[in-house]
Amino acid sequence: MFTLKDLRPGQKACVGSIAVEGLMRRKLMDMGVTPGVEIQVNKTAPFGDPIEVRLRGYSLSLRKKDAENILMVQ
Amino acid sequence: MKYKIALVGNPNSGKTTLFNCLTGSNLYVGNWPGVTVEKKEGNLRDTEKDITLVDLPGIYSLAPYSIDEIVSRNFLLEERPDLIINIIDASNIERNLYLSTQLMELDCPIIGALNMIDVVQKAGVEIDIQKMEKIFGYPFIEISAQKETGIDELIKLVEKTVGIKKIKEFPQIFPAEVMVLFDEFDQLVQNKYPEVLADYPHLFRVIKLIEKDEEVLLKIHDNTDLLEDIYAVRKKIEAVSNHDVDSAIADYRYRFITAGISQATRKTRENTIQFQEKLDKVLMNRYAALPIFFFFMFVIYYVSITLVGEITIGGIEWFINDVLMVTVATGLGSLGAADWIIALINDGIITGVGAVLTFVPQLVVLFIFISILEDSGYMARVAFIMDRIFRHFGLSGKSFIPMVVGLGCSVPGIMATRTLENERERKLTAVLTPFISCGAKMPIYVLMASVFFGEYQTLLVFSLYLVSLTVVFTSGFVLSKTWFKGADSGYLLEIPPLRLPKLKNTATQVWERIKEFIVRAGTIIFAASVVLWFLQSFTLGFQMVDSPEQSILAMFGKIIAPIFIPLGFGNWVASVALLTGVAAKEMIISTMSVLLSGQEGSFTVAISQIFTPVSAYSFVIFVLLASPCMAAIATMKKELGNWRDFIFALAYQLGLAYGIAFVIYQVGSRIFV
Repeated sequence: MFTLKDLRPGQKACVGSIAVEGLMRRKLMDMGVTPGVEIQVNKTAPFGDPIEVRLRGYSLSLRKKDAENILMVQ
Repeated sequence: MKYKIALVGNPNSGKTTLFNCLTGSNLYVGNWPGVTVEKKEGNLRDTEKDITLVDLPGIYSLAPYSIDEIVSRNFLLEERPDLIINIIDASNIERNLYLSTQLMELDCPIIGALNMIDVVQKAGVEIDIQKMEKIFGYPFIEISAQKETGIDELIKLVEKTVGIKKIKEFPQIFPAEVMVLFDEFDQLVQNKYPEVLADYPHLFRVIKLIEKDEEVLLKIHDNTDLLEDIYAVRKKIEAVSNHDVDSAIADYRYRFITAGISQATRKTRENTIQFQEKLDKVLMNRYAALPIFFFFMFVIYYVSITLVGEITIGGIEWFINDVLMVTVATGLGSLGAADWIIALINDGIITGVGAVLTFVPQLVVLFIFISILEDSGYMARVAFIMDRIFRHFGLSGKSFIPMVVGLGCSVPGIMATRTLENERERKLTAVLTPFISCGAKMPIYVLMASVFFGEYQTLLVFSLYLVSLTVVFTSGFVLSKTWFKGADSGYLLEIPPLRLPKLKNTATQVWERIKEFIVRAGTIIFAASVVLWFLQSFTLGFQMVDSPEQSILAMFGKIIAPIFIPLGFGNWVASVALLTGVAAKEMIISTMSVLLSGQEGSFTVAISQIFTPVSAYSFVIFVLLASPCMAAIATMKKELGNWRDFIFALAYQLGLAYGIAFVIYQVGSRIFV
């Protein structure tokens, strides 16, 4: 079991399930973070957080706190 | 027949640019999500029909998370436009079509405008718009709002489509087994709760009820029976989809989209790494990103303040003092005009308005830089870099965007806070944005810096920006733990691709901003300069004064001046200047030049008699931090929404300005005697 936070820049994996709670959960889904979608981590911000990921042909940035609640599958 | 059509799309999809193309107006556009914060209207050009186009704020979905989304959604539901133009960033088609699948539930005809088609073609992707129409059930047109291609075709299609009563059936997005459940639930709502959201489009109502949409729940007033029925249908959907309801609904929409676009798009060649991506790598490099950002900021202020200032200010002052005023004096003198008329024109109007106009070249350059930052997409990247820091101070990286906009003018800066979803964060950002120095305050710093700090002037002005950043952070830290206490809303931000700013767009934007500055110089500042001149030239008995010291204005200034004695500028000239500065910050400098124009020697000499370097620094700090001008105060009131927060904000800004200026003067004057 690993999460989006565990991916290093350049690595990709598919979303298994989203354990983020509340409003952020709905927002993530609206932005296309849904089960099965492939996400690649692009980079980490200079201070180590947030991270930038690429999915569905665009770039999205989110905090590690949320990334660690997005469970991934290979 | 009057028609109303809505322009709807994701943030940063080119909506405002398209709006300008379709209506021929000149709203400004930036490359960061959330430029349109209020809806704007215009008439569609080149058409016989009477069609009003409404530009709605960019939204990612019809869920009610931010004010923007609520504004757009309420418009679509309550005003029921005759047609929706759904603008889609074709270079980011998958995510953009997510909103489209929700628009398809509003029982309103749609036209899809596939924007940035030039970018897509360059990347080697072809979109078959016939297939798109077949799959999504409404017509698409390929356009480039920036290059202005496809616009005429779009207008023609709008003309043809608007007013057609019969709405084509949209295709089903959800699989049959889910649709059965939706229909069942719809029947149940219609029979059991006919009064619930009766005028909402059916499918929209069903889905929003099932999703337990917050706005919708507010409208059903704790109807416990209905909530139980919702619970039952949610269970059924979960059983069918093997997911929880939220993931299931979002997932079905995205599945429909991915299936659709895999049929309708074709990659003709592999994408090569673009120049933009390489540039992005450098700008966002882990170690270089922050130094690069500060380097940019320093260059911007060095070039606009020092370089441009050195070139232009001398020339403009020479023109005003040695050409314009001399011509007026000799010209009017030879016509036999009274001395007081010449004095009014020279010492009142030309001095007051001129003091402001002197800084136009510097502001033009500053605005060009800010506009480039906005258009290029660098702003979102800075929000990304800064989030980690801002988070510690009760803000998110997104708060940075209103603040950078506030460098130009606090009014749009404060308005840009609307893109923040969290109310607490939004209000806090609105209170902190005025601490970021706006363009109109810059002339004061430049003047004081050049008079009192000579060769260190760029450094001095830069130090002011550091002070303002420090104040923003400390205030954010303190206020987020006291007055604006609450949960942190999280951070989720789209990073748009870097784009080369378009000259036309930059020019429009700079012109809009500078126009406002010049218009104010010609109106408020012109009028105020005349009034000021009268007030400082006459006594209460309407006798012309020998020296301004005896004037009405001096009397008034002397009453309030004691307040500022502990700050080092307890003289009537500075006091009156601060007061007139409430109308517009440029007035501070106009006021001082009008009031000091009667004195002997140049303005520079006169000003160095009433300030010491320490009190000058304390003065600029006070100007920097004290409450903004009337326009910004009014905007702040509007965004804060209630008197309690508003009065607190004003008291906080004034109190802090006074406190910091006090410390600077008291400490500074003991060190530099």
